[in-house]
Amino acid sequence: MRCWNCQSEVTGADVCPACGRVLPVAPGTTLFDVLGLPRGVDVDKAELERAYRERSLRLHPDRAGKDDPRERRLSLERTALLNEAYKTLRAPEPRAFYLLKLHGFDLQKDEARAVTVPPKVLEEVLELREQLDSARASGDDEQVSALSDRVRVQSATTLSAAQSALRRLERNPADAAARDEAAQALARLRYHHRFLEAAEGSDEEER
Amino acid sequence: MAGGLLQIHDPLKPRGHAVGIDLGTTNSLVAAVIDGKPRAFPVDDGGALLLPSVVHYGADGSVVVGARARALAASEPTSTIASVKRFMGKGPEDAETRSLGAYRFLEGGPVVRFEVKGGPPVTPIEVSAEILRTLKRRAEAALSGKVEQAVITVPAYFDDAQRQATRDAGRLAGLEVLRLLNEPTAAALAYGLDKGSQGIFAVYDLGGGTFDISILQLVEGVFQVKSTGGDSALGGDDFDRAIATRFLEAHGLAEAVHPDAAAVTELLAAARKAKETLTHEETTQLSALGRTFTVTRGEMESWIAPLLQRTGIACRRALKDADLGRGELDGVILVGGSTRVLAVRRFVAQLFGKEPLGDIDPDQVVALGAAVQADLLTNRDRADEVLLLDVIPLSLGLETMGGVVEKLIPRNSAIPTAAAQVFTTFQDGQNALDVHVVQGERELVTDNRSLARFRLSGIPPLPAGMARVEVRFEVNADGILSVSAKELSTGVSQAITVKPTHGLTDEEIEQMLLDSIEHAEEDIQARQLREQQIEAERILHDARKQLAAFADLLPADERRQVEAGIARVAELRQTATESGALAEAIKALDDVSRPFVERIMNRAVGGLLEGRQVDEV
Repeated sequence: MRCWNCQSEVTGADVCPACGRVLPVAPGTTLFDVLGLPRGVDVDKAELERAYRERSLRLHPDRAGKDDPRERRLSLERTALLNEAYKTLRAPEPRAFYLLKLHGFDLQKDEARAVTVPPKVLEEVLELREQLDSARASGDDEQVSALSDRVRVQSATTLSAAQSALRRLERNPADAAARDEAAQALARLRYHHRFLEAAEGSDEEER
Repeated sequence: MAGGLLQIHDPLKPRGHAVGIDLGTTNSLVAAVIDGKPRAFPVDDGGALLLPSVVHYGADGSVVVGARARALAASEPTSTIASVKRFMGKGPEDAETRSLGAYRFLEGGPVVRFEVKGGPPVTPIEVSAEILRTLKRRAEAALSGKVEQAVITVPAYFDDAQRQATRDAGRLAGLEVLRLLNEPTAAALAYGLDKGSQGIFAVYDLGGGTFDISILQLVEGVFQVKSTGGDSALGGDDFDRAIATRFLEAHGLAEAVHPDAAAVTELLAAARKAKETLTHEETTQLSALGRTFTVTRGEMESWIAPLLQRTGIACRRALKDADLGRGELDGVILVGGSTRVLAVRRFVAQLFGKEPLGDIDPDQVVALGAAVQADLLTNRDRADEVLLLDVIPLSLGLETMGGVVEKLIPRNSAIPTAAAQVFTTFQDGQNALDVHVVQGERELVTDNRSLARFRLSGIPPLPAGMARVEVRFEVNADGILSVSAKELSTGVSQAITVKPTHGLTDEEIEQMLLDSIEHAEEDIQARQLREQQIEAERILHDARKQLAAFADLLPADERRQVEAGIARVAELRQTATESGALAEAIKALDDVSRPFVERIMNRAVGGLLEGRQVDEV
């Protein structure tokens, strides 16, 4: 694409190498691209933090586009996207959901309905919720935190199952079995999260 | 060289300073960076740095701000507005606004209006603007120059409506608001840059009525806010109430359901004094309502312990949001007068496993940090030093079916930020969609703050669930939100910058700006006089310097004229009650010294030319 300001030809840059102006986001840019990180299940956390800081210094509206309304707009958009990339890729779970989304399966959207969670899992989740409700009703804080601990262990196992399926999928994007496995694990992870969120309210006071 | 008088007319000298303002509930401060160091300015003739955030409206239309206004509160309670910050961005139906102070409100309308003497009812924005105007003038006096830009601090917990109101107050006071800065972030900025340190800091900010906690990280020139939290209804005033309650219990007065307002005020003031005394004494006697009551420090500490525990909950949550354990902190910063209470310091030290830092005055630290940010944003030499990455303190979302909130931007997201969500129609042929924007953490719309409502119309008639409406949120670096909605198949779109339900429209602000110009003749007079006084100070300083440095360029008769001119300006600077006479005297001095100035310039230019010839030879 051409720089909107100096017309020089640029590829894959957030700031024009010739004139230093902030550039629009190219179509097809992934959140990994935004931070300049290699796409994958595993991310070097120190590298991610460094990339985020370094790009913020270059793109943030306090630094860029002070004199030009168009560049100011681009700086705002770029920084918002950078913040989204940072938030999404920093922790393993949102990163896993995002990778699955890159493979065309967005669990935040309608596709979630297409994932069939085995009835056994649903049963288990419902039972845990019932136990949580009764523990909270009787003020049994120990039971609440015991249940939370149990779900935390489960969600760690579920996450690593999702990650290994995603690694296979990254190697071979046509691997439908890997995709379904990842989708199922992540759908299950969402149930775990909702449980932990519900448990947190009563948990927080005494921790 | 020919400095002095020439500088006065130097068109290249940048006009206007940028200041930092802590617009507090109880007190306000103004500060600026001078010679690389932030400094707070006196706000009254006695040299006090804290301006009580109190505004009095007189029957003659006059406006008094600060300690003098506070002194009038008892005799004129309805025309003396205190703690106006608590009304910012609130609607008249907000329960809290009714319980604060003995004010008279204008009924009806979406905005709180106080009925005061000497003029039409005033909004909280106008009252705040009076405080800001006073600070601006004081800073101008201290800096001997105009102040046009400011960074104003707001509690991290301020929602969008409160932020908008604060920004509007700044505009009304004639200030370009460079940034609304979260108070804890400002405090960290004051500490962080002073020490040039790297690390993770917690800022524990306990004010009179609010509690804020923020976790920040400073690495390689980037100051990153990791998380914020707090309790907007917990502060040092609650300590006073805890003491007062025990006093009433001890004297068997606890059953008195409706004690009169004056008695409550007296008792709370006595309780506050006792609290303050107990920071340096083991025991104190509290006298109020004709009775006395002995309080030990230990007793007071046990009464406030439950309040401190409440701050602990918010702190642990903030650490968790930042994905940190308490051992990972490098420092804890205390902000707010209530952190002077020893039990608070002990509690914080224990909570974070670290002795808190306290070497910057907790009353000043926010204003000093705001001054640092103002300098960073305006001073091009400093533009590369530190970048501040702040977060949005409360989640933003939309009302969906059943009055449930769908969160689009969760709290503690770094700003600027954007998010979009696609919604659909739920009736066949539905051609409009109501968009209701809310802010807060609760599940149900009714438990959150309503920010704005608008309607996207012109949706093509389609079966239910077929139309797709994308709602997009965008939050800028001030934490202020704009929302747009777009029907994806037709591209019908609508955008608004969220003007909160309880805010003022741009037209209202414009009108107020106009009114303040039309109706404030005296105000303008006073201001012009002040400007001339500043101008006089500057010209006197320079003229005296020139007289000493270039005495040989001044014949005796001319010298007498210049000296007479100086004496006249000096006298009028003290005695003039309007700007005209002083302005004339300044002009007269300028006129009589012109030949002198020209000779100084000639010598300077001659010197330059000679210098060049020497170089060129």
